[in-house]
Amino acid sequence: MGSMFGFILSGLLVGAAFGFVLQRGRYCVNTAFRDVIFINDFTLLRAYVLGLVTLIIGANFLEDVGWLGGSGQLYRQAFVPWANAIGGYIFGMGIVLAGGCGSGILYRVGEGLLAALVAVFGFFFGIMTTKAGLLKPLYEALTAKVVYVGEDTTPTLFNMLGVNKWVVIAVLTVAAVPFLLKGTPFKKAKKGYYWSTAGLLVGLVAVIAFWASAHFGGNARGLSFTGPLREFFLAVTMGDSQASPSLIKSVTMLGINVSWSSLYVLGVPLGAYISAKLLKEFKLKVPPANELLRVLAGGFVMGLGAQISGGCNIGQGFTGVSTLAVSSWVTTVFILLGNWTMVYFLLIKPMRD
Amino acid sequence: MSLKDEAPKETLDTLGRVCPYPLLLTKKALEKLQSGAMLKVLCDAPASAEDSIPRYCEKNGFGFESVKLEDKGYWELYIKKK
Repeated sequence: MGSMFGFILSGLLVGAAFGFVLQRGRYCVNTAFRDVIFINDFTLLRAYVLGLVTLIIGANFLEDVGWLGGSGQLYRQAFVPWANAIGGYIFGMGIVLAGGCGSGILYRVGEGLLAALVAVFGFFFGIMTTKAGLLKPLYEALTAKVVYVGEDTTPTLFNMLGVNKWVVIAVLTVAAVPFLLKGTPFKKAKKGYYWSTAGLLVGLVAVIAFWASAHFGGNARGLSFTGPLREFFLAVTMGDSQASPSLIKSVTMLGINVSWSSLYVLGVPLGAYISAKLLKEFKLKVPPANELLRVLAGGFVMGLGAQISGGCNIGQGFTGVSTLAVSSWVTTVFILLGNWTMVYFLLIKPMRD
Repeated sequence: MSLKDEAPKETLDTLGRVCPYPLLLTKKALEKLQSGAMLKVLCDAPASAEDSIPRYCEKNGFGFESVKLEDKGYWELYIKKK
């Protein structure tokens, strides 16, 4: 009973903490990438990079001190080059259409944004169509080619270069410092979270999520949203998350098999709701019909891309990148490129014409 | 005199609009206005009202003030084009 309680509470709390911090920090990777070319601003990108540096150091530290239980290793995704590149690119375009990234649409549900809820449904629909339905042949074709280092080792930046992983982490951290310092990280916020506070907290919650997923979920999967969102909706609609036991633990409660990860999917909008309520920002909002359709389509495109590439901006672009797996780095570069392509055609070009 | 006491040349309603429309419409409206003109924006997207629109204004040197109407659940943004 006690372990069941810890399982449920830890999942919900990790999600709620993440949702709370995202809402306070106005943290969205779609915005971070978009603003670079749309308004030539790097503020949110700095928050993303700071979060990433925090997570890379924290996650690899947990791995090395042996606090990850289970296999004792961070979950690193296989390198499927075609799927990582094409899926990432598609996902990057989808987040512009949907008006938010994988975590962005989920936390905005907690602000009362009904368009975000529609995007979440579209996201799930896209994931399922690609994983198990009409688009499954495309998914299978793109993920058929797997690249290994040696016999069957997942390529990482450090094993490809043949160096200790801390050498890679040190180089990345040192490279990030001038970029971060340019954004005056120690300035005090006028109100809300300053970008550096938001980035640091998002990174810390993701580190805790790695530990909690290993401790309570049986495997250091960390935070991700594509698989967990699927698991959450499958638990609700089918009574079974259908999560791979090698990936994450599930428990049966009230006759429903629930994975640990699907619990934090529920926690994110709850945490964002608490934050929005405290700030008196919660309000049910409905956009015009054409925008509602656009976000539905955008959510679907996100689901298609994320399922193919092996994750969204969090699963691949944050958690995955921190594991230094090549697949996650490739996916993230293509998410960025897809985002910029769509921003150009949807936002920049129409303003010029 | 603060910006919000000046008469706006135009009022832009972005209530209910999905990201990035509040920012996009604000940008569009400001590009049409003459320098020195005032734009009032109604916005209920927290990230746009408190993050992306003020950052855009700061970047361009535009005057910016915001009033959060907590009872109504939205912000009034006052932007003066440089």
